[in-house]
Amino acid sequence: MRFADLISETLHSLTSNKVRSGLTILGIVVGIASVIAMIAIGQGSQASIEQSIQAAGSNLLTVSPSAGGQSGPGARSFGASVQSLTREDAESLAGLALVSGVAPSAQGQAQLVADGTNANVQIVGVTPAYATVSGLTVVSGSFISERDDVANAQVVVLGSTLAVDLFGEAADPVGEHIRSGNMLLTVVGVLEEKGAGLSNADSTAFIPLSTAFRYVTGSQYLSSIVLTVTDEEQMDMAEASVEATLLQRHGISDPDYADFQIQNMADMLETVSSVTGTFTALLAGIAGISLFVGGIGIMNMMLTTVTERTREIGLRKAIGADSSAISAQFLAESITLTLIGGVLGVVAGWGIGFVAANLLGVSAVITIDSVLLAAGVCAFIGVVFGYYPARRAAALSPIDALRYQ
Amino acid sequence: MADIAPAVIDARDLVKVYDGAGAETPALRGVSLTVREGEFAAVMGPSGSGKSTLMHILGCLDTPTQGTYRLAGRNVATLDDHELAQVRRETVGFVFQAFNLLPRSTVMRNVVMPMLYTQVPPGEREARAVAALESVGLESALWTHRSNELSGGQMQRVAIARSLVNNPSLVLADEPTGNLDTATGDAVMELFARLNAEGRTIVLITHEPHIAARTKRVVRIQDGLIVEDAATVGHQDGDA
Ligand SMILES: Nc1ncnc2c1ncn2[C@@H]1O[C@H](COP(=O)(O)OP(=O)(O)OP(=O)(O)O)[C@@H](O)[C@H]1O
Ligand SMILES: [Mg+2]
Repeated sequence: MRFADLISETLHSLTSNKVRSGLTILGIVVGIASVIAMIAIGQGSQASIEQSIQAAGSNLLTVSPSAGGQSGPGARSFGASVQSLTREDAESLAGLALVSGVAPSAQGQAQLVADGTNANVQIVGVTPAYATVSGLTVVSGSFISERDDVANAQVVVLGSTLAVDLFGEAADPVGEHIRSGNMLLTVVGVLEEKGAGLSNADSTAFIPLSTAFRYVTGSQYLSSIVLTVTDEEQMDMAEASVEATLLQRHGISDPDYADFQIQNMADMLETVSSVTGTFTALLAGIAGISLFVGGIGIMNMMLTTVTERTREIGLRKAIGADSSAISAQFLAESITLTLIGGVLGVVAGWGIGFVAANLLGVSAVITIDSVLLAAGVCAFIGVVFGYYPARRAAALSPIDALRYQ
Repeated sequence: MADIAPAVIDARDLVKVYDGAGAETPALRGVSLTVREGEFAAVMGPSGSGKSTLMHILGCLDTPTQGTYRLAGRNVATLDDHELAQVRRETVGFVFQAFNLLPRSTVMRNVVMPMLYTQVPPGEREARAVAALESVGLESALWTHRSNELSGGQMQRVAIARSLVNNPSLVLADEPTGNLDTATGDAVMELFARLNAEGRTIVLITHEPHIAARTKRVVRIQDGLIVEDAATVGHQDGDA
């Protein structure tokens, strides 16, 4: 059989059975598209979670108070209820070799009233260093200054969401006043939106640390010290020197009895990565199942087709086609179908991945691996199950094939 | 008829048992038949007597359970897939009782199809298909119709045209006039007579005595056995 005739027979056969061809192509498209989309979403989410941690700063150490003297994590209590960290502790850490920034803070809960609008928010006392260490930027006004801190100034910097909650979308709150308990706070700055991350700076009010000591917490103790480390590679060393310094200052010799704990962001990133990795693996598993189901669909369609077409195979043999001509025709048809289905499937998977990822607020990551895997498996199934049954039918005598039901 | 022409069909003791048919009654129970070059023979017999079964074996479309079959001197059992395909497309033209056209393809495509597997140049195919369709008297308006839009008689003529496009030296036709009115049937028989006069060997199956009478030899089959084999009236000069 000439090649041109083969092509013409193939196209004729595919177009004269549009429903059959369409369904087969659909099976291939679904199989491929689902895998590509799933993997794109999975990897996209993983990337965006890791990115948001990295954005928060993976070179951060967070020191927080913890009940010392008892062993076993169950006995510990967290938060500001334990009073062990002081401003002096923070200042002593600033001198360490690997530490580039130190941001002590004291946090509490406060009722803010502005223009008759009420908000119960997290209020955090900070020093100017906090902005750099936590990666906060002001869009309007300025952050808490050294002078504010020294002077116990009644000033406040608002997170972006909080600013809108209190003063509305349009207004610039800088210069406005907010009442909270005994304080009359003047708004000096509004922060840029930070987005969902590990902290919720967007809905927090920041005031000078000394002001917080006096009006909010009523003590001189910190709720945390956040440190930036100069070299991400040396996080563990930095952590060790911070621990040693604080143990010494607190006069504790056994680290098991420390009255503080240190959280290492690099470790955290690793933990979260492994969690998101599991998530991606889960999606890949679902994708694998879709691929399997899609594969069965293709297989089913191809097998049905061949059953239907065994009569045709018998007829073609009866008028003089040899088995290789039959095989060539069915192979050409399978290849054409899987090619069309493959291209459409990749495009559809791409599209679905992008749209779905957009809805989830992550960016889709389409890897060439997933495309090759999905397309490869579907093409393999399509060709094998289009070709081998046809070969088997071609091995029948023409009469047996013609009579096949 | 002094010279004895070489045998085209030489079948010995053909037995065909269809497996799967519950009662193991053979469709053929030892049929021996010789047909020589240039013969024009009719096979007759009651329904179910094994006529089609025999024809399929003679056309190399099915294999006998027992017995040997030589086609143009070659033992068919020894031919491989490739050689069998070659025999089917070059030597034998087969007209099925059930036509076996590709339903979704046009008349023209159906008739051109046997040539796809030959060396006939693409430019010549259409002309040959047209000639074949004209010879069976199918109106040209129908040539572009799908074959499942045709009447039984029209399909039958397409099937005959298809069997002729590769110029076979042996034409095997299973009830080629079964669906035709007398006039069209006569025209088809005239076509066969003309093909026979050109030197082709023709074997056809029929139930109608007046069709059989237009051939030169009648073979009668009953219950899978040949019960009579005789030259028709007017053709007794042969060596039957
Ligand atoms: N595929 C098959 N499987 C089982 N039995 C079959 C098969 N084909 C034919 N037979 C049986 O073989 C016998 C001969 O069938 P065949 O088709 O040769 O008859 P026929 O002489 O052509 O009849 P008709 O004149 O009705 O066409 C019948 O009894 C039939 O039932
Ligand atoms: Mg029959």
